[in-house]
Amino acid sequence: MTLTFVLQNLFNGIAIGSVYAIFALGYTLIFSILRVINFAHGAVFTLGAYFTYVLLGSKFGFNGLLANLSAPIALPFLLAMFVGALLAGLCGVFIERVAFRPLRTRGADPLLSLVSSLGVAVAIVNLIQYLVGAEAYSYPDNAFGSLPPAVNFGGSPPILIRTKPIIIFIACIIIVTLLTYLINRTKLGKALQAIAEDSITASLLGINPDRLILFTFFLSGFLGGLAGTLVGVNFSIAGPNFGITYGLRGLAVIVLGGLGDIPGAVVGGFVIGLAEASIGFLPSQYSPLRDAVPFVLLFIILLVRPQGILGRALIQKV
Amino acid sequence: MQPSDSVPRITTPKSAGLPTLEVHNIVRNFGGLVAVNNVSFGVHKDEIFGLIGPNGAGKTTLFNIITGLTMPSSGRLVYDGRDYTGEKPHQIAQKGIARTFQNIRLFGNLTALENVMIARHTHTHSNLITGVFGLPPGPAEERRTREKSMELLDLIGLADRAQMQARNFAYGDQRRLEIARALALEPSLLLLDEPAAGMNTNEKAGLSDFIRGVRSDFQLTVLLIEHHVPLVMGLCDRIAVLHFGDLIALGQPTAVQNDPAVIEAYLGDE
Amino acid sequence: MQAFIQVYGFLLVTMVLQATLALSLYLPLMAGQLSLASPGFYAIGGYVAALLSTRVFPVERGLYPVPPFLFELFVAALLCGIVAVIVGFTALRLRGIFLALATIAVVEIIRVSAVAFQDFTGGQIGISAIPDPIGSQFGYILVAAPLLLFAMFFTYRLERTRVGRAFTALREDELAAAAIGINPMAYKVLAFTLGAMLAGVTGVISAHLLSTWNPSLGTFDGSILILAYVLVGGSRTFLGPVVGGMLLTALPEGLRALAGVNGLPEWLSQLLKDSRLILFGVLIALGAAFFPQGLITPDLFRRREPAPLNNPPTPVAK
Repeated sequence: MTLTFVLQNLFNGIAIGSVYAIFALGYTLIFSILRVINFAHGAVFTLGAYFTYVLLGSKFGFNGLLANLSAPIALPFLLAMFVGALLAGLCGVFIERVAFRPLRTRGADPLLSLVSSLGVAVAIVNLIQYLVGAEAYSYPDNAFGSLPPAVNFGGSPPILIRTKPIIIFIACIIIVTLLTYLINRTKLGKALQAIAEDSITASLLGINPDRLILFTFFLSGFLGGLAGTLVGVNFSIAGPNFGITYGLRGLAVIVLGGLGDIPGAVVGGFVIGLAEASIGFLPSQYSPLRDAVPFVLLFIILLVRPQGILGRALIQKV
Repeated sequence: MQPSDSVPRITTPKSAGLPTLEVHNIVRNFGGLVAVNNVSFGVHKDEIFGLIGPNGAGKTTLFNIITGLTMPSSGRLVYDGRDYTGEKPHQIAQKGIARTFQNIRLFGNLTALENVMIARHTHTHSNLITGVFGLPPGPAEERRTREKSMELLDLIGLADRAQMQARNFAYGDQRRLEIARALALEPSLLLLDEPAAGMNTNEKAGLSDFIRGVRSDFQLTVLLIEHHVPLVMGLCDRIAVLHFGDLIALGQPTAVQNDPAVIEAYLGDE
Repeated sequence: MQAFIQVYGFLLVTMVLQATLALSLYLPLMAGQLSLASPGFYAIGGYVAALLSTRVFPVERGLYPVPPFLFELFVAALLCGIVAVIVGFTALRLRGIFLALATIAVVEIIRVSAVAFQDFTGGQIGISAIPDPIGSQFGYILVAAPLLLFAMFFTYRLERTRVGRAFTALREDELAAAAIGINPMAYKVLAFTLGAMLAGVTGVISAHLLSTWNPSLGTFDGSILILAYVLVGGSRTFLGPVVGGMLLTALPEGLRALAGVNGLPEWLSQLLKDSRLILFGVLIALGAAFFPQGLITPDLFRRREPAPLNNPPTPVAK
C-alpha cells in the first residue's frame, strides 16, 4: 500500500467522478427545466464516443454493417472530441423531438417520458451495434498529444500519477465553472431559470420556451457526448451497450447528489467516483463489486434521504 | 332505513357530554409559516359541526391533520376517548372516520359501483387465498359487498347509473358519489371538505337536506369545511371560525354571526 | 408436426415463459407500482435451481427426478418471497421514477453479487450441466404452460376480489385508497411479492431448460424486454402482458424468417435478423408516447354504459 498507489487510486476516483459529474450535468439540465428524466442520455454518451472515434479516422472492427470502414478524415483528438460532442448535441435535439415533444404537448406523466426515452435509447444503441458491432474500441494512446503519460510529483521514490485523470479533472472544473457562469450570469441562463420556475409566465415575458428547451437538449447532449469520449479515453469504449449501463449510473449520481441543480451533480459524481475507486483498495477478487457501487449508494440514499445529499425535501400536496 | 347488518361496532361508553372528536392544541408549522395555531375544539356525537374561514385559514390543513395525512407539529387528537395522534390515514379510516376531498378524489376510471365496493374493504375479510380460490367466506362476501354497495347507491339516488364510469358523472353527482363511497366505510364521523364547491344554487339547497338526511339515516357525526356562509348557517349545529390559523370564534351559528371578532375579520364577505 | 416441434419447440416454450415474466411485472403494476425488478428474482430462481440440482441433489445419469424439481420451485418461491418482502418494505415507500430506479438498482446489485461471489455461483461463467427433468426442449411446455395458465387464472380471479380491488384502488389513487381504510404499504408489498415469486419460479424452469445459468441472464436488458411486453401488449388487463410476451418473443423469429425471403438486399436481411432490440426500443418509445394502454385494453371486454349525451364528462381531479 504505497503512497503512489493510494494517490493513484484517489486520482482515478477523481477522474471517474469528473466524468460522472459532466455526464450527470446533462441530466440535471433537462430535469431542472422539464422535470423529466431523459433516459436517452446514455445514448448520446455512446454517440459522442463513436462520433469522436470516426472523426479520428479510426477503423471499425469486422462486425456490423460498416465493418472495416473508416472515415476519410483524421482530426486531431481535441477537435474530434469537440465535434463529436457537437454531433451528440444535435442528436439530443432529435431525441427531444421524438421522445419528449409529443408527451409534453399532452401534459403526460413524466414516467411515460422516462419510458419513451428509454425506448429511444435502446433503439439508438442497438442501431449503433448493428452498424459497427459490439466489440470494445479504444482511442489511440497519444490522444492528448505530446503530454507525458505520467506526472512526477517528486519525492523518493518518485510519485508518478497518470496524466489522463488529471487532465479530465481539470476539464471537469472548467466545464462546471462555465456552466455555472452560463446559468447564473448570462441572459440565456436567466431565461432557462425562468422557464424552470414557470414556463407560462416566462413565455408571456417574451421568452420562447420551445427554442430554449431545444438548446437545453443540445447542451445536455453535448455534455453527454463529451463524457462518452472522456470515458473512452480514460479506459475504452466497452461496446455500444455500455451507454445504457453508464446512463443508469448517471441516474444514481444525480439522485445521490440531489436532482435539479449543478452542485448536486458534481457532489454525486465525486462521491460515487471516489467510492468506486476505493474498491481498488480491496483484494482484486472483489473488483467486480465496483459495478455495484453506484446502485448500492442509490438504494441507500433513496431509503435514507430520497431528495439526495444536497436536495430539498420533496413535499406532496393534497 | 336499517343500518347495515355488519359486525357490530364496539362503542366505548362515554360520560355525558364528552365529545366524539377532540382536537387539543393542534399546531402545524410549515417552515416559517404557522398554518394552524393552537386550535382546540370538540365535536359532539350526532351534531353537524362547521369549520369556516377564508382561503388559507388552515381548514384543509386541519382536516388533513385529523385524518392523518399531515402530522401536527404539536397537539393531540382524541376519538371516542382514545388518543390517536400520529396514526396513519388508513388506520384512522378503519376507526370509523371517513372523509371526502376538496378536489373530489373518486376512482375516475372505475364505475360508481366499483368505487363503493372498494370502500367496503374494512368491513370484509376475504384474503388473497380465499378470494382467488373462491373459498369461504369469499363468495358469500362478494355477493354481500355487491348488494350493500347497490343499496348505498340506491339510497344516494345513483343506483340507475351504477355501471357508469365515475368521471362521466355530473359534478354534483360526483360529490354525492364520493359521499356514498365514504358512507360505505360505515363511519361514525364523516368529514366533508367543501362539499358545496362548484355547485349552483339549486344543488346547494339540495345538499343541505342531503347532509341532514345522511346524518340521521346513518347516525353520523358530521364535520364540514365550507366557504358558502349561508349554507353553513342553515345547516350546522355549531360553527368554528378559523382566521389565518387561529380559532377566533366557536358556538352556535347565530352567536358566531354576531361575534365582533368574526365581523371584523369578514367585513363585506358573503 | 414432428418437424415443426423440432424447429419451433424451444421458441414456443420461451414464448410461454416470457409471457409469465410479463405477468410478473403486471402484478405489482396492478397496485400502481412500476417495478423493473423481475430479472433479479428470475436470476435468484435460476440460481436456486442450478445450485440445488448440481450441488445438493446431483444426478449421475438419466433425467432429473421430479420431487427435487418441485422442491426447487418451492424454495425459489419462498426465497424470492422473503427477499421481496424485505426489498419491498424498504423500496416501496418511493413513488414513480424513484421506485423504478430503486428496482433497477436491485437487479444490478443481485447481478453483481452473482458475479462477485464466484465460489458460490461460479462468477461470470456461472453454473453449467444443470440436469434435465423433462428430456426434450418442447417437453418443458408441460411445466411452463400450466404455470402460465395458473398465473393467468390467479390474476383473473384477483381482479374480481377484495384484495384485487385494493390493488386497483392503490393504482388509481393511493391517497384516496388510504382514506377508505386500505393499508397502502401492506398491499403494495403483497403485489410486489407475488410478482417476485412468479419471476423466481420462472427462473427455476428456465435454468433447467437452458441447462446453464449465469449473471447475464438477469440484467436490466431483461427489464427492458419485460417492460416492452407489458407496454405493447396492454397494461390494464391480465391478457395484455401475456399477448405482449408471446408476440414480442415470436416477432424476431418471424422477422428472421422474413429475412430468408429471396431477393432482399443484404443490409435489410441482416437488419431483420439482428434488429430485435432496435424494434423493441422503437415499440417502447411509440407505445409510451402514443399508446400507453397497449394493444389489449379493458374496453375491448367491458361493456360499460356510455356517458349520457347531455352531460359532457367532467374531469375528476387527481
